[in-house]
Amino acid sequence: MRRPKNLGKDHLGALMLLALGAAVFALGLGYRMGTLNRMGAGFIPVVLGVLMMLVGVALGVTAAPPGQEKIAHPLPGDGTHKGPEWRGWLCIIGGVVAFVVLGEHGGLLPATFASVFISAMGDRNNTVKGAAVLGAILTLFCLIVFHYGLTLQLPLFQWH
Amino acid sequence: MHQTLMDLWYGFGVALQPGNLMWSVFGVLIGNLIGVLPGMGALTTISMLLPLTYVIAPVPAILMLAGIFYGSQYGGAIGAILLNLPSHPPHAVTCLDGYPMTKAGRGGAALGITMMASFFAASVGIIVMIFLSPLLVEIAFKFGPTEICSIMLLGLLAGATMSRGSPLKGVAMTIFGLLCGVVGTDVISGTMRYTFDFPDLADGVELGALCMGLFGIADFLVSVNRTTVKPSDAKVSMKDMRPTRAEMKQAFWPMVRGTMVGTLFGAMPGTGPTITTFIAYALERKIAKDPTRFGKGAIEGVAAPEASAHSKTQVDFIPTLSLGIPGDAVMALILGALIIKGIQPGPQLITEHPDIFWGLVASFWIGNVLLVIMNVPMIGVWVRMLQVPYKYLYPAALFFICVGVYSTKNSLFDVGEVAVFGIIGAIFLMLDFPVSPIVLGFVLGPMLEENFRRAMLLSRGDLMVFLQRPISAWFIGACSLLILAQLVAYVRKLRLPAVREPAELVAE
Repeated sequence: MRRPKNLGKDHLGALMLLALGAAVFALGLGYRMGTLNRMGAGFIPVVLGVLMMLVGVALGVTAAPPGQEKIAHPLPGDGTHKGPEWRGWLCIIGGVVAFVVLGEHGGLLPATFASVFISAMGDRNNTVKGAAVLGAILTLFCLIVFHYGLTLQLPLFQWH
Repeated sequence: MHQTLMDLWYGFGVALQPGNLMWSVFGVLIGNLIGVLPGMGALTTISMLLPLTYVIAPVPAILMLAGIFYGSQYGGAIGAILLNLPSHPPHAVTCLDGYPMTKAGRGGAALGITMMASFFAASVGIIVMIFLSPLLVEIAFKFGPTEICSIMLLGLLAGATMSRGSPLKGVAMTIFGLLCGVVGTDVISGTMRYTFDFPDLADGVELGALCMGLFGIADFLVSVNRTTVKPSDAKVSMKDMRPTRAEMKQAFWPMVRGTMVGTLFGAMPGTGPTITTFIAYALERKIAKDPTRFGKGAIEGVAAPEASAHSKTQVDFIPTLSLGIPGDAVMALILGALIIKGIQPGPQLITEHPDIFWGLVASFWIGNVLLVIMNVPMIGVWVRMLQVPYKYLYPAALFFICVGVYSTKNSLFDVGEVAVFGIIGAIFLMLDFPVSPIVLGFVLGPMLEENFRRAMLLSRGDLMVFLQRPISAWFIGACSLLILAQLVAYVRKLRLPAVREPAELVAE
């Protein structure tokens, strides 16, 4: 991941926690707070928001300098591949979104084919033909197993 | 004692009913099958099959989930040994000696030892579970909202700080999970919280969607075009799986010690399986006569961690079922499934739902026997499964995730939630935050809030009640110890930068 030179992973994480905590806190104030005796809906979220910000501060203070962080949970791969993987990311998220959109405005079969095809195109080793064949196989599988076998509620085709 | 045996007998009756047995076998088989696939751990497998549990009765549903759990755990070891591919973090240690054994042509024996170690460890774990659970239940009956709150706090804190990596990040993720649990209608006042005007969020975030986003989609996002599956030249046939007499002798005590480590850690809420296997491995290396053999195919390095993982798996069910406090993310998922089925885990579970508790205990044994029987003839199939290229694997898995989440409530909105949690999870992973504490927080969150508010109502808003009631005070004391230990560890690290974590020692 590319990042500003003087910000390490931990600093970015701390900033993220601060922002998240602040947002939760601000929204939480909109609900009734109540007292400790009779807590309102906003009490717990506000407390959690504050805790989140505190953890963010603690993480920012103790953060290792950039490039020297200890990675406790290494990402997959051998680390040779650096930089953003836009194609993969777009295709995978696109595949899920396609399922939602086409499920609503197309039906089960188009949604199945599109989600498999689009997400498969995210892998640089997949060809258009290979992705299409995979999509077709899974569409057939979906028809037999999910539609006829498990009688999934989503109609095979639908237009709105 | 006599009563326990009678209960166990009853449990076998439940577990052997054709309907229940069928789902149990199905769970073990599917769990093993998916667990073998690269990148698919127990969490992914269980969350993918979670929707199935909505349509079947509670008893078979829970038997199936448990089957998936230990099935996938065993499946993960196959990839670790034959391909040096830890599809599930706890197996990372198994790779260290398992893969060298494969290269030396003893991969089959390593698998055979794994199988024996798992079976032995699981059996010990089950026995501990049978005798410990009723004892725990007696104590747990004394619990009111105050005690439940403090023990949940302890579980969450332990889950956040005792896994690998930065404890602060673990705590942050637990809080994030608790916040996800807050989303939806507040049960007491009826206020809609953090729903952003989506009516679909009124019932809260969908457990399946959250898990599949965090463990499925997020994983695809960070793995795509980065993972290369090496073709394995490992050829394992049935007769290779029998270890030699010398190997059995060598592996016996490590297996027993690994089981003990796993049992001990399983009883502690919040300690993840990964840390358990690392400790079991480190222990073996420490007491070995010739530590240099480790990392080059020492059979002890396979037997001990695998045994510890399996005994921990079984023992983990004790706090989950008897107290309602899950030990790790997988247990949190199983707990979540129970709650969805309308069964409240806790001390009353064993008396109110003896069919679930004793049926589960009996099905563990049946399932573990099945694993042994199944894996010997199926090993050839598993080896071939390992070769499925990632480029076909993840699009297919993505589709199953979409259909699975949709089928839970027939809601496409929930499928959208998967995409959102996928992105969130990928960001967390890239910043080196652990994602599994989120599930723990999410499942426990609503229970924690409800009990906290009840406890405060009863004590008229006096926070000191947590220290005044003795049982609760013990838990709060344990929490303070945990925090203190982390602070001490941090200060020591500042002073002595040379102190290394056990994980690093192992990785050398």
